[in-house]
Amino acid sequence: MSDINFEKLRAIVGEANLLRDPADLYVYGSDSSVHEGMPQAVVRPMTVEQVQELLRYADGERIPVIPRGSGSGMCGQVVPVQGGIVLDMKGMNRILEINLQDGYCRVEPGVVDDDLNKALKPHGVFYPPTPASSMVATIGGELANNASGTRSVKYGAARDAILAMKVVLAGGELVSFGATTRVAASGYPLERLMVGSEGTLGVIVEAALRFVPIPRLRCLGIAMFNQLGEAGDAISDIMGSGCQPSMLELVDKIAITAANKAEKLGLPEVEAILLFEADGMAKETIDPEIEKFRAICERHNGFGFEFSYDEKERARIFAARSKLFPSLSKYDERLASTSLADDMAVPFSKMAETANKIHEIAERHGLVMTAYGHCGAGCMHTKILMDTEKGEHWEAAQRAVAEIYEYVRSVGGTTSAEHGIGLSKAAAFKREKASVLGLMRGIKKVFDPNNIMNPGKLMDGPEDWVGETHLRYQKS
Amino acid sequence: MGTMNKLEKWQGALNKCIRCGYCYEHCPIYKSTRWETDSPRGKLILLYGLLSGGVEPSEYVAGKLMECFHCGRCQKACSSGVPIQDVYQDARELLVKAGFDVPGTTSRTDTDVCALCLNCVRMCTHGARSFVDGRIVTDLLKCRSCGSCLDICPKQGVTIRRGFGTNPEELDREVAAFFADGRNPEAKAVVFSCGWSNYPGMQTASYEPDAMTAEYKVLVTVCSGRIRSETILSALDAGAWGVLVVSCPEEDCEHGGSPRVKARLEALMKPLAGIGVDPGRVQVVEVAQGNPKKFLEVTRAFMEDIRALGPLLKRSEA
Ligand SMILES: Cc1cc2nc3c(=O)[nH]c(=O)nc-3n(C[C@H](O)[C@H](O)[C@H](O)COP(=O)(O)OP(=O)(O)OC[C@H]3O[C@@H](n4cnc5c(N)ncnc54)[C@H](O)[C@@H]3O)c2cc1C
Ligand code: SF4
Ligand code: SF4
Repeated sequence: MSDINFEKLRAIVGEANLLRDPADLYVYGSDSSVHEGMPQAVVRPMTVEQVQELLRYADGERIPVIPRGSGSGMCGQVVPVQGGIVLDMKGMNRILEINLQDGYCRVEPGVVDDDLNKALKPHGVFYPPTPASSMVATIGGELANNASGTRSVKYGAARDAILAMKVVLAGGELVSFGATTRVAASGYPLERLMVGSEGTLGVIVEAALRFVPIPRLRCLGIAMFNQLGEAGDAISDIMGSGCQPSMLELVDKIAITAANKAEKLGLPEVEAILLFEADGMAKETIDPEIEKFRAICERHNGFGFEFSYDEKERARIFAARSKLFPSLSKYDERLASTSLADDMAVPFSKMAETANKIHEIAERHGLVMTAYGHCGAGCMHTKILMDTEKGEHWEAAQRAVAEIYEYVRSVGGTTSAEHGIGLSKAAAFKREKASVLGLMRGIKKVFDPNNIMNPGKLMDGPEDWVGETHLRYQKS
Repeated sequence: MGTMNKLEKWQGALNKCIRCGYCYEHCPIYKSTRWETDSPRGKLILLYGLLSGGVEPSEYVAGKLMECFHCGRCQKACSSGVPIQDVYQDARELLVKAGFDVPGTTSRTDTDVCALCLNCVRMCTHGARSFVDGRIVTDLLKCRSCGSCLDICPKQGVTIRRGFGTNPEELDREVAAFFADGRNPEAKAVVFSCGWSNYPGMQTASYEPDAMTAEYKVLVTVCSGRIRSETILSALDAGAWGVLVVSCPEEDCEHGGSPRVKARLEALMKPLAGIGVDPGRVQVVEVAQGNPKKFLEVTRAFMEDIRALGPLLKRSEA
């Protein structure tokens, strides 16, 4: 790799859109993961042409390029492990078109999810993947990670929302993938291939996304369980019953205790809580869904039911889930909430077993881990709460992560449901995808022959994420 | 790094930051530049670097830490209970002690024009200005960057060099651009808001047709006490039918800005009423921070009043 020619970068994006002070570079070396790195330059392209020129230059000089949205990724996707140029895509933040007749909107990649939904709302439609981080996550980052959220059980993930996109390839060539029509039959769906590619194939410079009508009514319900297994059985029965929840969330006892402790919610400290939402245009179609949910939960000894259509009441009921995240950080003064084993997907029938397994592994390794997630989509999340200054906690965490993903594979699950792979899940991902790693590398080579696009991630990520990467925490 | 050793007591707090970024949409500094280093999260990462040795103390780093309007919105929005402002304040203290004299967003006095009236010393609610050795000095660690001293100075000798969109000239420019010929055909009013947490619109994205149909523009000022009469007049002159100032409730404003702006606008409207300008065209309404719903309600009510009043100037006069 050559040294960076700052004059060249300045000529492309202008002085105002270039950072090179070591302090800035350090800041742009992190995201929401446990890792950190150091780029050599940060640039903020404002136009497609600037992205093309930057890539042409970087490819010629074999300089790594890391496209970055808001850096809210949890696995180190934007951490520049091999240095290079970070492309801060938040400068390209225009919503280009909202086409109601043809049912799509076109946006630049730096548009923040919540902003898009604010612009769509007056038209009675919404862009549904909506991760919990929607107030910061950019559309580019959501597509590259294939983000999803609480309502993805009904409305799908980012990959289901993409219709077409414009991409700048490593050599600077601008290409168009997909079509804005609802159906597109033939050829390889390259726009979908880009989704989940984590910045390793090219830079998304424009995306056409589908949206859906905002339902007139939403009804949220809650059920409690004294056995995690019973909640798990309820989940698979609900999903197997033809029920169409717009949300089905599991919250375990550790999360409930944390929420009570940090936010004083006064929730009953049961083994598990299920939250269920059905939405639609008329009560007549929603009530039967809610009834079905209640009947199935009762069959599995669920109790403490509450249901409401009222917005305020729904917010109160949902607090167990919405307050979960902050609660984990406040769970214990000495423990930090680290983004490790952060997500996975398992078959519905294995949801409860997975949650129990996570608890068992955590206990065996002297760690605190919770289990929660969008269980209607088979998605399970956790966090490792640990003393990040203790080296032995990192060793334990590393073993725990490996064991959890080994279990996930053994039950037919997959390494990431929505957060992606980056650095910290690469070892597990490579094990899961062992038979197709060659194919994936081959595809990358076609898109990016000189391996400049976000190198060292996904299938090329580290085996030993503690030893081979720089951790952002200072450990003894 | 030696100078930063004292930050060690915050190591735990810095570890608690999960780097979610939930703080940065609230920060006026970040909103102005949109660089990560200007966000609350970015600054915590800088401090992390100062502690770990990943970042060397420098003028540049000190400048970043000194750039803050002390609105506290980041800390309130933090998902993880990080005492952001306390951590910053300690870091600033260490940097100042280490000899970094960088103003950031704190106010400076131009000794050449200062008339030594000491108005600013008397009115600063934070005790940040004093008269030492024949000149006015600002205590970098006490100044809250509210800008109150800017308006009180009869000689316009006080400046905040980097206003991040909140300095009077910057506000005037934004207003003029909103009413510039034909750009926003529906433009009718300007709404000044004390902080981003009430902001009802899109935070960072832009959508051309929305701007085309917008009847009013929200401009974030950090402290309503900084809205000068001149800014209001130039908005009316540019073509605004009215101006709304949404300020924090008096009891919440630590800069004494709320009562000041009310008094100022009352004084402005008296003579204007004399020449037939309806006082309802310039209103101050209190909304507590973090309440976009209430903000929208008061803005809608104001816009109804304004539509009923009609244009102040004929288009050709504007
Ligand atoms: C508190 C919190 C809650 C979260 N909740 C969820 C959740 O509910 N669901 C979920 O799915 N995720 C969640 N996440 C993870 C994360 O927010 C999402 O994955 C999000 O989509 C990342 O967006 P970003 O803009 O921050 O992307 P970044 O982190 O900046 O980048 C992510 C990836 O996208 C690539 N990229 C960015 N822009 C482009 C582009 N223009 N072209 C090509 N590649 C690009 C990057 O190279 C990187 O590989 C959460 C994170 C946090 C911190
Ligand atoms: S206190 Fe206000 S201005 Fe300062 S960093 Fe926090 S949000 Fe930004
Ligand atoms: S909201 Fe709090 S935890 Fe999140 S990045 Fe900001 S300071 Fe860190």
